[in-house]
Amino acid sequence: MSVELGHYALVLALATAIVLSILPIWGAWRGDRPLMELATSGSLALFGLVAFAFAVLTQAHLASDFSVKNVWENSHSLVPFIFKFSGVWGNHEGSMLLWLLILVFFSALVAIFGRNLPDTLRANVLAVQAWVATAFTLFILLTSNPFARLNPAPPEGQDLNPVLQDVGLAIHPPLLYLGYVGFSVCFSFAIAALMEGRIDAAWARWVRPWTLAAWTFLTAGIAMGSYWAYYELGWGGWWFWDPVENASFMPWLAGTALLHSAIVMEKREALKIWTILLAILTFSLSLLGTFLVRSGVLTSVHAFATDPSRGIFILCILVLFIGGALALFAFRAPQLNSGGLFAPISREGALVLNNLILTVSTATVLIGTLYPLLLESLTGEKISVGPPFFNMTFGLLMIPLLLAVPFGPLLAWKRGDLLGALQRLYVAAGLAFFVALVFYYVENGGPVMAVLGLAAGLFLVFGAVSDLWFRAGIGKQAMGVAWRRLVGLPRSAFGTALAHMGLGITVLGIVAVTTFETEHVVEMKPGMTAEAGGYTLAFDGMRSAVGPNYTEDRGHFTVSRGGATVADVWSSKRLYTARRMPTTEAGILTFGLSQLYVSLGDPMADGGIVVRIWWKPYILCIWGGALVMMFGGFVSLSDRRLRVGAPSRRAKPVKAALEAGE
Amino acid sequence: MLFWIIVAILTAAVAIVLLLPLLRGAKERLSDRAGEAAVYRDQLKELERDQAQGLITPDEAEYARAEVGRRLIAVSSGMEKQVARGSGLRRIRLAEIVVVVTLPAVGLCLYSITGSPELPSQPLEARLANPGNDMGILVTKAERHLAQNPEDGQGWDLLAPIYYRSLRLGDAELAYRNAIRLLGGNAERWNGLGETLIAAADGIVTDDARAAFEEALKLDGSNFRTKFYLALALEQTGKQAEAKAAFETLAKESPADAPWIPLVNEHIAKNGGAPLATAGAEKPLGNPTAEDVAAAENLEAGDRQQMIEGMVASLDAKLREDPKNIEGWMRLIRSYGVLKQPDKAADALKRGLAVFPADSAEGKQMLALAQGMGIATEGNEQ
Repeated sequence: MSVELGHYALVLALATAIVLSILPIWGAWRGDRPLMELATSGSLALFGLVAFAFAVLTQAHLASDFSVKNVWENSHSLVPFIFKFSGVWGNHEGSMLLWLLILVFFSALVAIFGRNLPDTLRANVLAVQAWVATAFTLFILLTSNPFARLNPAPPEGQDLNPVLQDVGLAIHPPLLYLGYVGFSVCFSFAIAALMEGRIDAAWARWVRPWTLAAWTFLTAGIAMGSYWAYYELGWGGWWFWDPVENASFMPWLAGTALLHSAIVMEKREALKIWTILLAILTFSLSLLGTFLVRSGVLTSVHAFATDPSRGIFILCILVLFIGGALALFAFRAPQLNSGGLFAPISREGALVLNNLILTVSTATVLIGTLYPLLLESLTGEKISVGPPFFNMTFGLLMIPLLLAVPFGPLLAWKRGDLLGALQRLYVAAGLAFFVALVFYYVENGGPVMAVLGLAAGLFLVFGAVSDLWFRAGIGKQAMGVAWRRLVGLPRSAFGTALAHMGLGITVLGIVAVTTFETEHVVEMKPGMTAEAGGYTLAFDGMRSAVGPNYTEDRGHFTVSRGGATVADVWSSKRLYTARRMPTTEAGILTFGLSQLYVSLGDPMADGGIVVRIWWKPYILCIWGGALVMMFGGFVSLSDRRLRVGAPSRRAKPVKAALEAGE
Repeated sequence: MLFWIIVAILTAAVAIVLLLPLLRGAKERLSDRAGEAAVYRDQLKELERDQAQGLITPDEAEYARAEVGRRLIAVSSGMEKQVARGSGLRRIRLAEIVVVVTLPAVGLCLYSITGSPELPSQPLEARLANPGNDMGILVTKAERHLAQNPEDGQGWDLLAPIYYRSLRLGDAELAYRNAIRLLGGNAERWNGLGETLIAAADGIVTDDARAAFEEALKLDGSNFRTKFYLALALEQTGKQAEAKAAFETLAKESPADAPWIPLVNEHIAKNGGAPLATAGAEKPLGNPTAEDVAAAENLEAGDRQQMIEGMVASLDAKLREDPKNIEGWMRLIRSYGVLKQPDKAADALKRGLAVFPADSAEGKQMLALAQGMGIATEGNEQ
């Protein structure tokens, strides 16, 4: 019975979302407070209903209730507990339910933490959130119902896709969705502002924590996905410019732009209309990503089942929301009063440059992702737009951006002093170049461009440090004073520095891996050895093993350096019995920030086996940098200035006016 | 029933949550812009802090303060102009109706289309604890037992033929091999293994399969199944004469009414021999499908009879519901004839003739069939 209760809760959630889509907006329009209040309690009820439905589906998965079709299709009684749990969203229906859960979770958060928002704005934001929730609940119930039943119930499930049987599935999708869907709040704020026809610095202030939170989670989600693909797929790569990856990367790029333009709007009341547009575009790209991944347009591990009706439904949602939002924007934006002026060389100017480059690069990725799809659907011709295209266009765009990043925080608002910033940064630049040269020397060469790439990464790191350094006045002031000033800096300053530093660390990792990586493909028989990254790998032979729901052939390697054994590693090929599906489990050894990556290929007729061995120097910097960025996001999020005290309910407007006059 | 009560409570609870703000009615309305003013006041405080710490120069601070001050004044003047409108009672009533109607209407309509309220949850553990006669669950239960005790030969022996019948051939082979390893071979297990291997090879008697039947033959020299497949192996390898001899021996040794006689005769003919005339040679049933026959062959004699009777009974029942089916009547009459149940055959004919009169084409067809099979027709009685 409980399964059916979960199903009914989801249906009731649809009804609630429909009510929430209409009444609060009506209330905001007529200035009717009770109707607006309904949005707050209603959003909490909506979250409760979807959370209950999700809990019921989770329970069905954990209890292996194969009378639920979704469980039968994607689970197996012998799957380990954690994969029964993460298997809830390791399929199309469940992942859409997770999407919805996170959407209404954000609505509930706005309802709880939005007490200080103007009533009309809060009501409108929650109503727009409810529109999105209505569309997706309808999508789930009509085309992808996770509560569809089977009668009689089969005795055993069909197992979870083996590639997804990994802790990565427990972490990557929830983080990614928190990011993807988090941007819906920014979208709703933008639409609400357009409906009210009023935006100002305070608006940016209210949107900022949501943008920051979404951006932080998206950063973490993308990094996690990249690391998962790296160790699970056995190709040794960490980014493939695959359309599915691009689908998550585009909202990230646009979201990064939004994050920066919202700062300008909050502090200077400039770039208002542009920020609104970016908020719309960012969530639109999230929706586009959902469409690309879920419609079956792309084939990948993410496109679980392809069903044309689903694709068309999401396409309709896409057209409705993006088209509607942009139409509203075109209609209302000219009526909004534009903001303040600023000189080209200023903090605002630097952020505009940032926005310019980020949006152009988003467009580049968008074209590279969609062009092959469009061409195929129009002419039937299949082309592949691969890494060379993205490296040439996107990579080229990133160079000026990376070089400009350290300058931004050092420029003053309104009118900046470029020469002054240069003077403050030349130490950082010189240091970066020097360290890059030392690195180049230690690694015994490589392409000369590597030095420049490394220097760019280091420049970001040192530039972030010098920003804090100069702000605190270290060197100019007495140590005690400087320390107090450093500690007294707003947390968002540390957040900025950490995020920029993290970006630098990621760049370092990317440059180091692409230029100093070595790859060996060798056919090995037991007893043979191979060299990689200064380590010697001895192949000891293959062994069979049985896991809970798979059988595997594992190869054992002993790793030594200078004759002394330092480690050993298993690398295996698995066969998941229920689906008769093979997977590769790479053997990965970490030495400091570098990794040795061993992957097994096909066995040869003469008893040998093809072994791929990669030496990946400093590869952990790529994801480590993302973690630092994420940490910066959280530090910034915790900034006390982001928590504006709620207005005292008893405060009289007159008093506020008096205070303003003082 | 309990389900619908909970559904009603859930719907009512959500409705109450949505209705509460409406029922509480209009309260004193705060200005919308108080929150905005708070943001700007906060910005002013921030400026003071920054200036106190020396993060910005007094000049910059003064400039920024003027800017924020302007925003604050703009907001504050806007606040006074705002007129707090009360809430219209009619609007509230209408909103209440929307809530009260939408929730049950959308909820119940959509759920009645997409839901299955009569289906209980079926967690696997509960089904395993109380399997009833759910064959699949019994198999799963046995599998779980074997996963814990892989050396239990009886379990493998029990599962092997079930796997074979449900066409899980890989599992069947493993189960037969495990049973033979743990319990030792007997003709039944070797034969089962051999048949599994043949099925897996799409009907070809592979070397492995032949080896299995040879093992079976060693243990039980008189097993007809074993001999049949060994003869088939000879036929498939092109040893026609030997195959013919083997099949002929088989036919001679078999009891006269053995159900496999027609099949053996077929093979004798195929290898260039003349079928042995046997009294019990039956005509093919005609009505069950090839799969049914194949399934029936794997059943014990009593089970097989039961299975066929079951199928005929279900056909009978179908015709009672939907009598306009001449094919069905023909099959039913023929089936009862073959099953040696002339009374039932006569009854079927009578019911068939009630639908299709004796002078119609269909009626004549049925009468002809009945006469051919020696079934009493109305005409004969008269």
